[in-house]
Amino acid sequence: MTVKLRTVGIAVLLALVLAAAGAGLVVYSGIYNISATAQHTKPVFQLLEYAMRRSVKLRTDSITVPDLSDRQRILRGAGHYNSHCLQCHGAPGVSPHALAFGMTPAPVNLVSTAREWLAADIYWVIKHGIKMSGMPAWEYQMSDQDIWDIVAFVEMTPTLSPKEYAALSNESAEQHANRQKHTRKPSMAAAPPPSAPASLPPSVPASIRQQGALLGDAKAGRRAAGQYLCATCHEIPGIVGANRHVGPPLNGIGSRKYIAGIISNNPENMVRWLQNPQQLDPLSAMPDLGVTEKDARDISAYLYTLDDVE
Amino acid sequence: MRHWCLLFLIFAVTGCSEKPQTMQVAGGDAARGKASIQRYGCVACHTIPGIAGHGSNVGPPLTKMALRAYVGGVLPNTPEDLVRWLQNPPEVDPRTAMPNLGVSEAEAKDIAAYLYTLK
Repeated sequence: MTVKLRTVGIAVLLALVLAAAGAGLVVYSGIYNISATAQHTKPVFQLLEYAMRRSVKLRTDSITVPDLSDRQRILRGAGHYNSHCLQCHGAPGVSPHALAFGMTPAPVNLVSTAREWLAADIYWVIKHGIKMSGMPAWEYQMSDQDIWDIVAFVEMTPTLSPKEYAALSNESAEQHANRQKHTRKPSMAAAPPPSAPASLPPSVPASIRQQGALLGDAKAGRRAAGQYLCATCHEIPGIVGANRHVGPPLNGIGSRKYIAGIISNNPENMVRWLQNPQQLDPLSAMPDLGVTEKDARDISAYLYTLDDVE
Repeated sequence: MRHWCLLFLIFAVTGCSEKPQTMQVAGGDAARGKASIQRYGCVACHTIPGIAGHGSNVGPPLTKMALRAYVGGVLPNTPEDLVRWLQNPPEVDPRTAMPNLGVSEAEAKDIAAYLYTLK
């Protein structure tokens, strides 16, 4: 009996090893076509789609849906939709723009999504995006209110004829022209400074320590750093995929003497730099990425945890 | 397990065929550059792979300088521009904290040649 069990065990182990080796060979050989013109195979597509739905479902249970029937909300939503979503998803009677045509998976028509998905699920996907699908997260570019406005609009698209959509769009544009234009989160300038100073590693100089209260939440900052594309230019410890060398590596930035080689490294300067580098150095290749003050404080808090240069 | 290890070994040894780096400094000699870097005390401010120092962190570490897109955050990282920067940083960017160290053109070329060995 024991001998049999052991034989089975060895066989299973061997099968696993061979499967892993096979999978490794498929990856290494490059045989899987990564191009966006080659469709996923049906099983792969169905598995990804199903996994995506399950993943969204798991995270939307506790979301409270606000009143989405308000007409002003729908009009605002149509405006945001036309500015940010239409390019890929189209609208009733309106084609998506060129960039959407080459995408795999193809961006869905949201009229059918509105018919099949719950409002909370749509909200979640707009806010958080979907990895490797081309769907971006809008959390750092829009307020929750803006996102719910879009959900309100998307939810009523199944009732719109192309003509009615066009009329709604026009009305939205007229209202928008009368309002102050803003797509980003409202300024956080009025927000009270964070009460508890971030905990800084011992190697961070005293000058920085004294201004610690200026800093936000390091954990939120690490998340925000991922969303402001920091990783596309800098090597940043703790952020997966941050291995580019467009700008300098940020290991040790917490204890570095200068920021960008031009200003003393202290929290106040760091927050200013992150918000608008070219204001401090007109020659800098680092652009203004529209970082809000709150996000700049959080990102700074994260950067000050990176104290080891080597 | 042996299969797996073997596979890993194959991965590790072969790697990917990346675009070849063409960061060549005409007239620059990396070995002389290394000596110049030591003489000018670059490690007083920068951490530089291959140069003994105590992990200075005044300016950014110079790891992977051959891959870096910009010099001093302001100049495209071409051999000509790096040599120009090394000779007189404030002339390029008046706001930079990096001083003019009086590096000659020949020395700058050698130093650039060394920095381009850092990949």
